[in-house]
Amino acid sequence: MTNILDDYALMSPLRHKNNWLKLTIVLFGLLVGVSSTSPITPLFIALCMSFTTVALGRAPLKLYLKLLLAPVGFAFTGVVIIAFFSGSGQEILSFELAGYPFSVKADGLELALLVLSRSLSGMCCLYFLSLTTPMIELFAVLKASRLPESLIELSMLIYRYIFVFLDMAMSIKYAQTVRLGYSNFRRSLSSIGMLGSTLFIRSWEQGDKLFLAMNSRCYDGKMTLFEVNRPVRAVELLLTSAYFLSALALFYFTKNISIV
Amino acid sequence: MIILETRSLKYTYPDGTAAVQGINIEIKKGKKIAFVGQNGSGKSTLFLLLNGTLKPQEGEILFHGAPFKYDSKSLREIRKSVGIVFQNSDDQIFAPTVYQDVAFGPANLGYSKERVDACVQHALEHVGLSRLKDKPPHHLSGGQKKRVAIAGVMAMEPEVIILDEPLSNLDPVGADEIMDLLNEFNHFGSTIIISTHDVDLAYRWSDYVYLMSNSKLIGQGTPAEVFKEQELLKKAGLRQPTTLEIYHEIERRGLAYGKNSPKTIPDLVNTLKPLDLMWVEVPPGVREGDNLNLGVMYGEYATQSPYEAINATVLHIHPDGRAIVELKRKGIKAGGVLLYDTDNYSLPEVRQIITEGEIAFVGAMGKKSKTLAEQDGIRLDVTTGVIDKSILMALCGKRCLILTAGGMVDHALKRTREYVEKSGIEFTVGVVNREGGCKWLEETDEKSGALKI
Repeated sequence: MTNILDDYALMSPLRHKNNWLKLTIVLFGLLVGVSSTSPITPLFIALCMSFTTVALGRAPLKLYLKLLLAPVGFAFTGVVIIAFFSGSGQEILSFELAGYPFSVKADGLELALLVLSRSLSGMCCLYFLSLTTPMIELFAVLKASRLPESLIELSMLIYRYIFVFLDMAMSIKYAQTVRLGYSNFRRSLSSIGMLGSTLFIRSWEQGDKLFLAMNSRCYDGKMTLFEVNRPVRAVELLLTSAYFLSALALFYFTKNISIV
Repeated sequence: MIILETRSLKYTYPDGTAAVQGINIEIKKGKKIAFVGQNGSGKSTLFLLLNGTLKPQEGEILFHGAPFKYDSKSLREIRKSVGIVFQNSDDQIFAPTVYQDVAFGPANLGYSKERVDACVQHALEHVGLSRLKDKPPHHLSGGQKKRVAIAGVMAMEPEVIILDEPLSNLDPVGADEIMDLLNEFNHFGSTIIISTHDVDLAYRWSDYVYLMSNSKLIGQGTPAEVFKEQELLKKAGLRQPTTLEIYHEIERRGLAYGKNSPKTIPDLVNTLKPLDLMWVEVPPGVREGDNLNLGVMYGEYATQSPYEAINATVLHIHPDGRAIVELKRKGIKAGGVLLYDTDNYSLPEVRQIITEGEIAFVGAMGKKSKTLAEQDGIRLDVTTGVIDKSILMALCGKRCLILTAGGMVDHALKRTREYVEKSGIEFTVGVVNREGGCKWLEETDEKSGALKI
């Protein structure tokens, strides 16, 4: 079985919490993190969100770090460039490489740190959402946000059949591998082509079968979606408000502070 | 009462393949029907016709005596009453969670939210999947998916349930659970129609069998009638059921007698009993045809249970005063099959019954009972083919306890009683924790005397 992010979200104990609460937390984190002018607030948000995801949401720490590594790697290369090539003022570090002078200035470093912390906080917020809220919980949210019904129904069906076709693709690939379909580059190309075309035909057929299955259970053009009622508990509300307030306070008091 | 009927039904696919030709069937309410035939013999197409999904080019289908109409309102009625479970569960389960999939049918019938919820809870509880209701289908095993598919159809409370190859791709335990479920639905009055190429299944499970071959109906009747016809089976590309085949072989060698077409292994074992003859010294004055009471025997003379009361019919008297008699045995302390209804379950009671009732063998039928036993650490000796195995143990003089619930209690009771009646071998059968149920404590043995022979 393949383990995708959605599988961890399905197993997370935070899955059964109110979806709107989780969305509010994420949205708040994103907005405050991006609008903050010092790197301290975003770092605080990133720390809080990571703690919630790993400790309360029971996401495996190793997986979480691995997931963070990819975007942080990207952000880091960008940040290095910003640090060297922007800003003015006091020089903190300077050296010469192959005749070219390189120097890091105070302003540049400040900006670089801000960018890094902002992107980190954004990533942590989004990972919090994707590791605690599986797709199947989000359908109700989509519905409540007045998106067209057919779009939601389509996305529900697509979600279900992603896994059917994933299984199908993997078994086809396996069948091809055991008959040496991927033994060299040319064969790999033709094998992957066959896989694609077979998958297309299968999905076409599956559509027919799906219609048949829905029809035989009195389908009348509408899939009813039942939202599970999940009241926000007092403890959750309290924790969230505490988090919001401390983040806002931090935001306010650190707005003119520079750490370099 | 006939619930579904077809008259010279004909259907040809757009590409010219004739899938169903001139089929006449009458399906009676509350029966278990099996359509048996090779792959591609037209079973699946026939099912889609019965459900109103396909429209026949010729002939008609009648539901409760009224011909199918193909406008959308009538079709809704038919599809509500005739539920169909497809062979591949992935074709049928399309919603992102188990709950939503099972709720799909009832919601389409326009039920209120509360009623839909009640239907879904009931259906999921029935198939033993309440705990998995928020799972996405790709996290389920094949057997669980099948049960979700069945629950999805059950939630609409159809009168007829059609299952296309219900046991394909299932392991033996999973298959057994599905068959238990079907028996239970049947017990509550649903008519069940399955298609299969498993002759053993059709033979032991169904009340009535239709044989299909090359899109035509080539035979029908009770399983005993249909599977006797070797030629017919050959024509359909099928073989005889194993039980029947073994029986015929034993019969040909003169080792079995009397019984017609044993369906289960206990039935088969029962046919092995040869005519019970014995040399006995008889007092003068006894004549051929007289009945003798030989009293109670035990040890090597008691063949079927530890103690037996034996009556004998004198067949022939030898001049030297000895006679050949045919023995009729009646077990006194035979084994028994006790049923325990887990709807009123209490662990201390079960433990007491097991220890004090000298229960040597415990089985469980149905998901609910199995889960209960597992939770409370009751050791189960058997979880598949429970009734058959319990009967076999009872025949060996052991006492068995079967934990089960709901309609399966009565089903098991009926099956076991039928066996006792048919075989003439007496053993205790009953439900222990029910009003007027049978006693589970052994009555103290009367002093049994042996008779000198």
